[in-house]
Amino acid sequence: MKTIYKKLLFLFLLLPFGVFAQNTLNGTVVDKTTGQPIPGVNVNVQGAPGGTSTGFDGNYQLSNVKNGNKIVVSFIGYKTEIIDYNGQKTLDVSLEEDTNQLKEVVVQVGYGTVKKKDATGSVSQISSKEFNKGINVTPESLISGRISGVNVTGGGAPGAKADIRIRGGSSLNASNEPLIVLDGLPLSNAVPSGATSILSTIDPNDIESFTVLKDASAAAIYGSRAANGVIVITTKKGTKGGVKVNFSSQVGINTVANTVDVMSADQFRELVNTKGTPAQQALLGNANTNWQDEIFHTALTTNNNISVSGSLFNKLPVRLSVGNVDNPGILRNTSFERTTTSISLNPVLFDNHLKIDISGNLSFGKNQFQDEGAVIGSAIGFDPTQPVYQAGSRYGGYFEWLEPTGNLPLLPARNPVARLNQDDRRATSTRKWGNVRVDYKLHFFEDLRVVAEAGIDRFDSSGYTEVSTQSALGYQPKPFNGPDYVNLGNYNSYTDALQNKNLNAYFNYTKDLGKIKVDATAGYNYQLFQKEKYSSGEVRQPNPNEDVATDPDVNLQSFFGRLNLGYDSRYLLTLNYRRDGTSRFSEDNRWGNFAGGAFAWNLSEEAFLKDNATVSTLKLRVGYGTTGQQDISAQYDYLRRVTIGTINSQYIFGNTVYSTARPEGYNENIKWEELAEANIGIDYGFFNDRITGSINYFDKKSSDLLADIAVPDGANLRNQGFFNIGSVRTKGVEFSIASDIVKNDNLTWNVAFNTTYIDQKISELGITVPGFQGYLTGDNIAGGNGNKILINSVGYSPNSFFVYEQLYDANKRPIAGAYADRNGDGKIDAGDRYRAGKAAPDYTFGLFSTLNYKKFDFTMNWRASVGNHIFDNVSSNLGYSDAGLRRQTDLSNVSSDYYNTGFTFEDNGTSRYLSDYFIKDASFIKLDNVTLGYTLDKSIIKAASLRFTAGVQNVFILTKYNGLDPEKFNGIDNNVYPRARTFLFGVNANF
Amino acid sequence: MRISKSGLKIKNLKTNKMKISFKYISYFFLFVLGLSMTLTSCTDDLNVTPKDDDEFLSETFFENPASYKQVLAKLYAGLYVGGNDGDGDATQPGKNPDIAGLGGDFSSYLRLLFVTQEFSTDEAIIAWADGTLPTLNAQTWAPANEFLEGTFSRAFYHISVANEFLRQTTDEKLTARGVDADLKAQIATFRAEARFLRAFSYYNLMDLFGNVPITTENDPVGFFYPVQKSRAEVFAFVESELKDLDNSLAASGSNEYGRVDKTAAKFLLAQVYLNAKVYTGTDKNNEAAALCSEIITSSAYKFADVPYRYLFSADNNTNGAQTEVIFPIVGDGNAIRATGGGMSFIMHASIGGSMDASSRGMDGGWQGIRTRREFVNLFPDADAAADKRGTFYTNGQSKDISNVSTFTDGYAVTKYINKKADGSAAQRNDIPDIDFPMFRLTDAYLMYAEATLRGAASGNLGTALGYINQIRKRAEAQPITLGEMTLDFILDERGRELFWECHRRTDLIRFGRFTGGSKIWQWKGGSVNGNATESFRDLMPIPARNIQANPTLKQNPGY
Repeated sequence: MKTIYKKLLFLFLLLPFGVFAQNTLNGTVVDKTTGQPIPGVNVNVQGAPGGTSTGFDGNYQLSNVKNGNKIVVSFIGYKTEIIDYNGQKTLDVSLEEDTNQLKEVVVQVGYGTVKKKDATGSVSQISSKEFNKGINVTPESLISGRISGVNVTGGGAPGAKADIRIRGGSSLNASNEPLIVLDGLPLSNAVPSGATSILSTIDPNDIESFTVLKDASAAAIYGSRAANGVIVITTKKGTKGGVKVNFSSQVGINTVANTVDVMSADQFRELVNTKGTPAQQALLGNANTNWQDEIFHTALTTNNNISVSGSLFNKLPVRLSVGNVDNPGILRNTSFERTTTSISLNPVLFDNHLKIDISGNLSFGKNQFQDEGAVIGSAIGFDPTQPVYQAGSRYGGYFEWLEPTGNLPLLPARNPVARLNQDDRRATSTRKWGNVRVDYKLHFFEDLRVVAEAGIDRFDSSGYTEVSTQSALGYQPKPFNGPDYVNLGNYNSYTDALQNKNLNAYFNYTKDLGKIKVDATAGYNYQLFQKEKYSSGEVRQPNPNEDVATDPDVNLQSFFGRLNLGYDSRYLLTLNYRRDGTSRFSEDNRWGNFAGGAFAWNLSEEAFLKDNATVSTLKLRVGYGTTGQQDISAQYDYLRRVTIGTINSQYIFGNTVYSTARPEGYNENIKWEELAEANIGIDYGFFNDRITGSINYFDKKSSDLLADIAVPDGANLRNQGFFNIGSVRTKGVEFSIASDIVKNDNLTWNVAFNTTYIDQKISELGITVPGFQGYLTGDNIAGGNGNKILINSVGYSPNSFFVYEQLYDANKRPIAGAYADRNGDGKIDAGDRYRAGKAAPDYTFGLFSTLNYKKFDFTMNWRASVGNHIFDNVSSNLGYSDAGLRRQTDLSNVSSDYYNTGFTFEDNGTSRYLSDYFIKDASFIKLDNVTLGYTLDKSIIKAASLRFTAGVQNVFILTKYNGLDPEKFNGIDNNVYPRARTFLFGVNANF
Repeated sequence: MRISKSGLKIKNLKTNKMKISFKYISYFFLFVLGLSMTLTSCTDDLNVTPKDDDEFLSETFFENPASYKQVLAKLYAGLYVGGNDGDGDATQPGKNPDIAGLGGDFSSYLRLLFVTQEFSTDEAIIAWADGTLPTLNAQTWAPANEFLEGTFSRAFYHISVANEFLRQTTDEKLTARGVDADLKAQIATFRAEARFLRAFSYYNLMDLFGNVPITTENDPVGFFYPVQKSRAEVFAFVESELKDLDNSLAASGSNEYGRVDKTAAKFLLAQVYLNAKVYTGTDKNNEAAALCSEIITSSAYKFADVPYRYLFSADNNTNGAQTEVIFPIVGDGNAIRATGGGMSFIMHASIGGSMDASSRGMDGGWQGIRTRREFVNLFPDADAAADKRGTFYTNGQSKDISNVSTFTDGYAVTKYINKKADGSAAQRNDIPDIDFPMFRLTDAYLMYAEATLRGAASGNLGTALGYINQIRKRAEAQPITLGEMTLDFILDERGRELFWECHRRTDLIRFGRFTGGSKIWQWKGGSVNGNATESFRDLMPIPARNIQANPTLKQNPGY
């Protein structure tokens, strides 16, 4: 790859330089209304090559002008002026804003842009003005609920990664994450240890727009990583004209919105006194501790950003931004702090022939985290009759369960508050990324542009876990009641480095042939992903397992081409083709060919609608495309490999210790998963586009699914692995509508609504043997060992809950261990399990309302989800009396669901936790955010306009689900970091 | 400054338009040329190979002469530790457990053998209500049982790794890699051991599940449905392999400690023959007795004339007990760190109640495994007075088990100890050093006596009695008379001598006492004082997950 950079550098040096200037005509170009000079305005002689552009002061010089020439003065967003030259020495021009042109939305389509009205694929765009309001720590929350077909499920932990699904994803076990392209740089979803997510390194304040390419015909140009759609993020750029400063500051108060229902101390005492043994009753304490209250608290988030944009040396638009967010979590001793600086330089040289975009970004993250699931789990389950602190405790003064000998027992949960304070986990991360884009319009052949983009993305982290020498979790090699007792604590550290490189090079040819417009692009893309991690092992224990782990490179290369043909803006055709290569597959299976085509008919440009104000926009779109999927966790599954065991897995022959070598399982034939998607859409606008929106129907089928499935025992060197099997079909309808319901001088009210229906089913799994139920999938649930509750079966949604049908008594209470014999064979076994819903919703809704009254503005956004289910793993794991009475030597708390069921024992082979009783309807309506703003414009303070905001985030949820939160991405509710309810205040100033 | 300079330069060029155009065109073609050159060199980057220092392509790995023994070490270590990084950390690529979907601790071969061979019998019961574990205590298991799934997959995993080792060490491959004659000879022995371990896994599968597929090094590695064979076919395969291995395994006693030799193959074959009636319907007691006799009289293994407890101590590889152990599964607190598998499981899980873990050389207990009333009753007393083997912990424990999940219900067992024979400490107190005695000589004594009692023509009852009394003498138990040496006595004596060594289920089935009502113990069948169970449970069900993976597998009758 080094060589490729060198070669390219050389090629760029070969690029010709060209500025044509002669000293004949001078002048200044100004804005007609403000009188301000406009830099960067094109001034040239009509029909002649060359020309010039205005400088920072609006001045220009144009040479070689002859009498009778027509001087063309043009600038994006302004009406072009054409002036006859008849020997003037100076020519001052004032340009008038072209309101029509300003309205023209330009959307990213991958390696280029098109006007929204000329787009053929299913593309949605949201720009900064329309973003969700409130305190947005990570960028994806800016668009949550806003785009039909795009589902964003955020987490509760500070800076947590959100799960984004476009049209429900398309894979079983390959990635379902969309490709995110940030200013031309495709991002990797991988993050180093101690960092939260790739998007969390970006300051939402720096983002100009999100463009979502939803269907395959639109996404195909991004090829191999675009099977789940593409999100193109564009950051704010330098502006022409005067220096602008924007400062924004927000303070948020994060409060605990909800906790898990477990027994109170008194309820628990009663349970132990009625059901426990005398030994267990003797363990009860006198305290009344709500352990969840002890670990959660109210925390203050601050978010500040300052940006300066303008032009340097008259020529060089530049934007510099510095942002800082400090977001402590509601779980004590967790926090996310990020400082970002980004700079973008966007010079335009040589009469607009050479455009250079340089962006450089630095993001520093500081994370403090916990073994969150374990801490929250132990707070849910810790005996509420025990105190937090106990006099004389050798474990930092905290209560811990001890044996009568004083020794620390191995099994009981540890005091969650002690864990928070004695288990210190911190990491810092630095992400540096930059992209250089050179766009050269050939001097001798202006219709052809050569564009090259080179980007590098480096993400490093380093962190440690230190367990205090007073912690019950510390390494204690000798028992307390023996000699030499010592608590060594624990310490391990790590560094992790990720590096991704990207290169795009393409040609773009555009030509207007009267009514026919041609826009053709062809190019090449190279992506390389690398990762290396060092870990020290537990250095306070004997023989720490120190290791450097170097991940295999992942390399992707593609050749692509696209042809856009337009006729009179009425008929638009896009054809694209991409040939993708991946290092994940063998040479025989490496290359995949993917193509797409889309056609759009702009009815509103037809004569019969052209000047119709009622139907102001009407466009029909039809598209079909294929994309490939190769993004699986196995990096080169086709290779026969051997791995060496660590110092923990050795063997001794005689007196010699040998490392062990494990031949790894492999799949020589692993190949591309392929997605084919058809999309039919209508974009509409009524009453001069006062009402706008679109409707899309899509039908996509992914085949040769890369599924991580159970391998027949004896057929491979593993019992589970990736194989290409079966297919999934996803059909859906998306609808969106936005309208300025009220629009007058004092009051505007805009409402945008979208809804999506998705029906996703597995149509084939490659196995036709009778009785085959499907492949169990998903994370292991809490309870038992290696139990899974989700299944992929033919005819059902992926990740359907696979459970027994609970039987109920006359009082509608579930009967322990009693299930319906669904297959009627006289016994209850795996054959009686059935599929009871899924975690993914059938319908999702989003509603965004903006009300402006004079200087006040008021926004709200609502989201709703229907048809999604959740598995209440907290109740299934802790909602029975034996959960509290497991041993004679310690107690633990029981979920309040015990009062609904009266279940007493864990399982005893009754598959209790696989009962459909625990599958709950998790449909919800959520008011995500309300924000009230007040703007003080320049009329009061000359220099600046100020906007003050106040609002609430995660305001309330309406749901039938009694657990913590119905919104859980994988549908399994267990030890979840709760989402905070945030009250926020902010100020934004523009100078 | 720079901008204006370059501007000037181009201004000059501009004066000759033709020239410029050519120049631009040539630049353009240079650009295209350069681009295509760059691209062709880049596509090589798609050939990615391992970069980690612990990961290799097979073909390069086996170029290293030391590599073969490392795979052999994996075949042995896999009996004890469940993954590439101790018990395995599924979150770290390359360090994941051998058996996907289960922790490396849970899926340890030895741990699962213990779970299936002991919990289902009178010798042990576990308090934990982890998933379907209670059904193993009660003989009420169903096909959807994660412990059986783990056992099935684990045994096949070992078979697959052995097959791969055999594929990688064919004579052609070794010659092609330029392996010298000396190493080739060593590898020939490694191959024989791999085949032995494969036969051992097939033996366990045949014993537990009956009808299972057979795959060998001649099968491909990929995705296909291995064809299920009858129990008798698996028997025939194991028998022929073990017979053949007598030609290629190391001579008795000539191998390093920790590695098997011909005697192990003979032992396993004797065990298979002794159970032949169960597996095939045909007795092979004569063959069993002959093999046992050969092991006892003409192998390098000697009866360990040390106190019984030495056999189960942290230094049982050096304290004199090792002369008796034909096939040890080596444990070591520093080198083989199974924290939840292997002996760590057996030790931790059997400590609880008022027992001081440090007296067992351990850091604590998991309050799981005890034994049942009926088993304790096989001994003259519960405090090892009249038989040193009956080492129970009774303080605060009741002999009766009224509640399975209460550790103090049922006597605890202190057979294994993570201390050296002299009472000094092992290397660590969290991971034991004890080697598990998979096959040992006194078992051959007992098998000889049993086969003889079952009518083996080659056996001699007098000799058998001598063996039995030699065992009992070490245990400081009363000698028995020929009249007392009945089959029932042998079953009980096997319990006393070999309990918690993963033989009990097989023994009880051979004697017809595992299921049915002829022998009852507490919680058999799920009731406090036990009840008869159905005979189809002599075979475990083919586990649901494994049928799901290979839907051509037919379930055993009754399930």
